[in-house]
Amino acid sequence: MTRWFETITLDEPFPLGEHTFTADEIIRFGKAYDPQYFHTDPEAARHSHFGGLIASGWHTVSIGHRHMVDALEAEEQRLRGIGEEPGVSGPSPGVNKMEFKVPVRPGDTVRYTLTVTDKRPSNSIPGWGLLFNTITAHNQRDELVYRAELVGFSKLRDYRMPLRLVVLQALTRLPGLGKLLRRR
Amino acid sequence: MTNPITADRRHFEDLAVGEVIELGRVTVSKEMITTFAREFDPFPFHLDEEIAKKSLLGGLASSGWQTAALSLRLLVDAFLGQVASMGGLGFSDLKWKKPVMKGDSIGGTVTIASLRRSRSQPGRGIVELDFDIRNQKDEPVMTMRLANLVELRHPEAPYPAASA
Repeated sequence: MTRWFETITLDEPFPLGEHTFTADEIIRFGKAYDPQYFHTDPEAARHSHFGGLIASGWHTVSIGHRHMVDALEAEEQRLRGIGEEPGVSGPSPGVNKMEFKVPVRPGDTVRYTLTVTDKRPSNSIPGWGLLFNTITAHNQRDELVYRAELVGFSKLRDYRMPLRLVVLQALTRLPGLGKLLRRR
Repeated sequence: MTNPITADRRHFEDLAVGEVIELGRVTVSKEMITTFAREFDPFPFHLDEEIAKKSLLGGLASSGWQTAALSLRLLVDAFLGQVASMGGLGFSDLKWKKPVMKGDSIGGTVTIASLRRSRSQPGRGIVELDFDIRNQKDEPVMTMRLANLVELRHPEAPYPAASA
């Protein structure tokens, strides 16, 4: 999917791969970031309404993100392999909505899918576009684990910087003056 | 059936809209950033300081997911760990307002924005929590609204009359 902003197609599901969760990694993530008893203690977790250990939603989501990064990297390699210059993806300004549906238990295999539902040039960062992404995660029984609506930056291929910005950018490289301009 | 793990914790009935939870602080080191990035977010700009300097982030910064996970950790330590929590339902309007750079320390507040009982499950309530995460310069780095399930102590209590 590291295609150029201009060539990204909408509403085309892009499989990101799958991951099987072990009890060990669920507990390790839970202890580091989400130490609630149903994420860290299999015995205590039996008393919860989940009836046993489950992965933190933030863990499931972070693994999904990893799969997206790997898929972008693989697509980049593929494009270079056929002699094309890949696009450039940037950081994300946020997540509009995240719904945790079915919990992930040890041994579950979760399959992630990315769909770009909309795109537009960024108003705040010249030369970059915004992608509106939906990521879904399903388990081995095809139950929805989570659904996320994310926003991501993607560099524009066909962008020519206005002269005003070229001059401003050159000025910010001057020592002293750059600091002054950035402060504005 | 009482849950022995959560019996002595704060239940849904003990929470009030407007309560402000003061979070602790965590300093985000280079090692924390690259360890998380290697496992969950291996974009070169989260792993390599030189590449990071040339990126939109302007330097080595944590993965947004790490910032979110660390914020949640602060909430578990300050609040959720003492509440009869039944896990998260999801969140909305998560905004990464500023990158968390190497050496930054983050903290802030979480405010109870709303409380409502589940219509389908009488033993459960839903608390919505507004995160305001800031760095050591008091600049906002992340905001979001998290929805979390909490056990009721008295599921048999009647529902409050619907307001007009």
